[in-house]
Amino acid sequence: MIRVRNLGMRFEQEGEALPVLHDINFEMDKGDSVAIVGPSGSGKTTLLQLLAALEQPTCGEITIDGQSLATLSVDALADFRRDQLGIVFQSFHLIDSLNALGNVSLPLDIQGHADALSRARLMLEEVGLSHRMHHYPRQLSGGEQQRVAIARALVHKPRLVLADEPTGNLDQNTSTAITDLLFGLHAESDATLVLVTHDMRLAERCKRSFWLEEGRLHESR
Amino acid sequence: MSRGNMGFRIRFACRDLLNSIRRVWLFCACLMLGVSLVMASGAVYQMLNRSLLADTRALMGGDVEIESSQPLPQNVLAWIKTQGHVSLVQELNTMLSTPKGDFHLVELLSTDDAYPLYGDLVLEPEQSLQQATEQRDGHWGVAIDPILAERLGLKLNDRVNIGNLALQVRALVLAQPDRRLNANWRGAPVLLSQDALNASGLVHPASRIEYEYRVRTDQTARAWKRQFMAAFPDSEWEVRTFQDRSERIAERLDQIASGLLIVAFSTLFIGGLGIFNSISVYLESKRSTIATLKSVGMRNTHVAQVYLVQVALLAGVSGGLGLLVGAVLAWLGSQMLAQDLPMVMKHQDMLRAGTVAWLFGVITAYTFTLPALGRALCVEVSDLFRDQAAAPHGLSAAWRGATVIAVIVLTLLVLAVIPNFLFGLVFVLVVGVCLLFFEGVVRALKRLALNAEGRPWLLRHAAWRFAVANLHRPGTPLRATLLSMGSALTLLVASSVVVVSLLRMVHQTIPEQSPALILYDVMDDQKAAVQEQVQGYDSFHSMSLSPLVRARISAINGSLLRERPSDEIDWQEMARDEHKLSYLSGNIDGIRVVEGALWEAESMTLRAAQAGVDFLFAMEDREAEQMQLQPGDTVRFSLAGQEQTGLLTAIYSQRGIQTRFWFEAIFSDGALDPFITMYVGTVYMDDADALLLQTELAQAFPNVITVRTEELVASAAELLGKATQGLVVLASISLLVSVMVLTSVLAAGRTRQTYHAAIMHCLGARLSYIRAAIRLEYALLAVIVGMFAMLLGNAIAALILQFRLKIYAWDVYSLGVIIAFGASALVFGLGAHYLCRRLRVQPATLLKEAV
Repeated sequence: MIRVRNLGMRFEQEGEALPVLHDINFEMDKGDSVAIVGPSGSGKTTLLQLLAALEQPTCGEITIDGQSLATLSVDALADFRRDQLGIVFQSFHLIDSLNALGNVSLPLDIQGHADALSRARLMLEEVGLSHRMHHYPRQLSGGEQQRVAIARALVHKPRLVLADEPTGNLDQNTSTAITDLLFGLHAESDATLVLVTHDMRLAERCKRSFWLEEGRLHESR
Repeated sequence: MSRGNMGFRIRFACRDLLNSIRRVWLFCACLMLGVSLVMASGAVYQMLNRSLLADTRALMGGDVEIESSQPLPQNVLAWIKTQGHVSLVQELNTMLSTPKGDFHLVELLSTDDAYPLYGDLVLEPEQSLQQATEQRDGHWGVAIDPILAERLGLKLNDRVNIGNLALQVRALVLAQPDRRLNANWRGAPVLLSQDALNASGLVHPASRIEYEYRVRTDQTARAWKRQFMAAFPDSEWEVRTFQDRSERIAERLDQIASGLLIVAFSTLFIGGLGIFNSISVYLESKRSTIATLKSVGMRNTHVAQVYLVQVALLAGVSGGLGLLVGAVLAWLGSQMLAQDLPMVMKHQDMLRAGTVAWLFGVITAYTFTLPALGRALCVEVSDLFRDQAAAPHGLSAAWRGATVIAVIVLTLLVLAVIPNFLFGLVFVLVVGVCLLFFEGVVRALKRLALNAEGRPWLLRHAAWRFAVANLHRPGTPLRATLLSMGSALTLLVASSVVVVSLLRMVHQTIPEQSPALILYDVMDDQKAAVQEQVQGYDSFHSMSLSPLVRARISAINGSLLRERPSDEIDWQEMARDEHKLSYLSGNIDGIRVVEGALWEAESMTLRAAQAGVDFLFAMEDREAEQMQLQPGDTVRFSLAGQEQTGLLTAIYSQRGIQTRFWFEAIFSDGALDPFITMYVGTVYMDDADALLLQTELAQAFPNVITVRTEELVASAAELLGKATQGLVVLASISLLVSVMVLTSVLAAGRTRQTYHAAIMHCLGARLSYIRAAIRLEYALLAVIVGMFAMLLGNAIAALILQFRLKIYAWDVYSLGVIIAFGASALVFGLGAHYLCRRLRVQPATLLKEAV
């Protein structure tokens, strides 16, 4: 499903090139669950953003279902994210002016589904937040915000789910609950799940695991 | 807390500010702009105020002036002398000629030894007035105004003719404290001795000599006047303080100065909104710094000190820069005006205006900063560390109290500084009404948007749904946007309408077509001969002669003025006022009816008979307002000892300066016939012939005063033109910069919206879809803000124009519509454009910037 070839990324900072990713190559199949593990600053989030087409790589190519992301227009990339991608950001990126229901229904709203709210409601029930639907992000705990973010990523049944440090900010109990939820939902679908984490226990629950260090990727399992 | 810790906080504030200086440019720009405009307009106003209104004693030549056509009786003079010092100046308008045959209207001034009561008369070469005007070698001397010397090419020792007398120019008057502001076109002053005046042959029973008794007293002018009127209740002399002497050009300049202040304070307020939004965005960016400082143990008050020090530094420096710019603007303005008026910008004008403007800047900065800072500090550390926007916390009592105090101080300063207390109060009320009004609009909009959210048609149109939803969701910048933009645009509309009305009024004051010659003091028995002489010229086009009759009003609606108690209106003074009456005569004075209607010639006699009065008449607006007269009132006039009653049918305004007749009442034809002794008139012909005619008339009819309007109109046009240019420049700068500031405010306040748009794009929303939603939302806001700003701004402008500036124009309000919707569309359009451009950046970058 996903094929990454010779992927490289560098940023310009104060006139100097800062290399982040070097010659990344891997493939993932439909239904895979993959963990990308590595120390802080190794380029995990950058790799995830490249997979989500939120950034353009400096070199190399990402192909999804045989379609190179580099050949797609800005609108086509947006359509790709809308129809095929669910993304859980490390810092959630919930819209603070929307309540939990509004945030979860957002992908369906963008797709133009008339039943967006009812489906979002069901999704929130699945993640155990039926009693918090009308609360705004600032009224929710960190774990609840994370669950809203996961619900938003899965509500439109995407084929690819990307999650950036989904348990990074959570305590042990909440972390376990969130992980169970994420893998439970993944098991119910045939989506491909890509997790970025430095939590080895979380990585162990994935079928495959990659180690990213100083911008270079190695499959560890 | 030790002093060392305070030192740390100041050092930290400076370091933190230096590293964030790019984020506060809007704050600095707004403050600098506001301070510079207040400083410039304030200094010019100070100069005008000092010269036109405040320095009343010198301009009047005394605290009070008693004017009479005859010398005052000895017992009256004795009474005055017991109450203060008195000086007599005899004034007479006449023509002065030179041996080369040039004629010029002058104002003869014959003074006594006590002159001047205030200020100093400075002659060149240096000498006393007595020395300059005494008789030497058989010739009397005169001291003449430099303007007259320049126009007629006169030098010291040249001969001039006045009446039957040849006089010698002995001095130029370098400084005359009571020189009238309109002397340049009314008649340049010529000072001569009493004996010379008597010898000129101009003093005879029919001549219009004005005996002006100037009084110096320790009492207030008003109190002295009251005592005088009580002591001589049946007298008919006019007793005036400076405020009573309305001079049209001075009035225009005062109105223009008011216009400058309206523009300046509106700009300051808009700048204040810029400051508020800028500092809010700045403090938003400082959330993590504030959280860190609080988490490492710094108390709230100390964190507050850090940011208050920053505001002090920003306000002090930006205000200082604003003062520099304002001083340059003020100096340029004063240079333009000083070429035509006897006024100079003094250091104290600059100093006072500068101090006030800087204080305004600093207090405005704090007034608009305190609530934003209070809100930022009221948030819990945990909230501040969270990525999500803080809950809309209310201000704590201490911060609310500090904000209220700052608002009160700012309000008091506005009231103390704006010259007219009522005007200042209205300005403050207008700002308050604007804010309350738009608060109401915000609430109504939120409710409407909330109600609309569940509607099926909205669910089918996602872009509309998001646009409408953005109006009511928590955290929406709707309130800040509407309050800022709405009240700022309202003021912009109001000040633009006022400024354009002023400009149009000035334009109407300077007519495109003026008569070539104005005639005064044409005696009844000279009328036919003057007409014959005028019509002999080839270029003669037309001529109008209108009677000029003077009369007093003795009763209104049957109630005698002298018996009315003087409370709001000084009826005793009204009873003494002499009014200039005439006929319409082809509308020689260029009047315009503003209330009621003039009479039909065919039915006027019948209508007068039906109303039981002797005639119908119309009255000038300012006179009618002074006496609270309305069409339908009956007024009894005392005409040469005869009492005649008229029905007031119309009120008119006279805006032009081309004739300067300024009739105070127009009577129906025939009503004045028995009382006519003198005419005034206009002659339309070529200017070259007018010059010849002026010479001929001066030789044939020495008592007839002629003025060529070319000089008069050009002189007034130049002066008013410069003043209005200043107003136009200032208003244009203000308009342009206000739009820029508001656009920046909108853009700065929409950082969060960019972030939300980036999230939506990350979730798969196309940019075109997001842009459509943004454009819809902004279009909705532009229409709403434009509509309410148009309504409220025009209403405010109407109040100012009608009640403060006395300008009655109706079509100018369409300009308010254009400004409201134009500026609203421009500002919101630029805001939407900015937001859409921001979305061109890679979404990942936008998300990183937002974190």
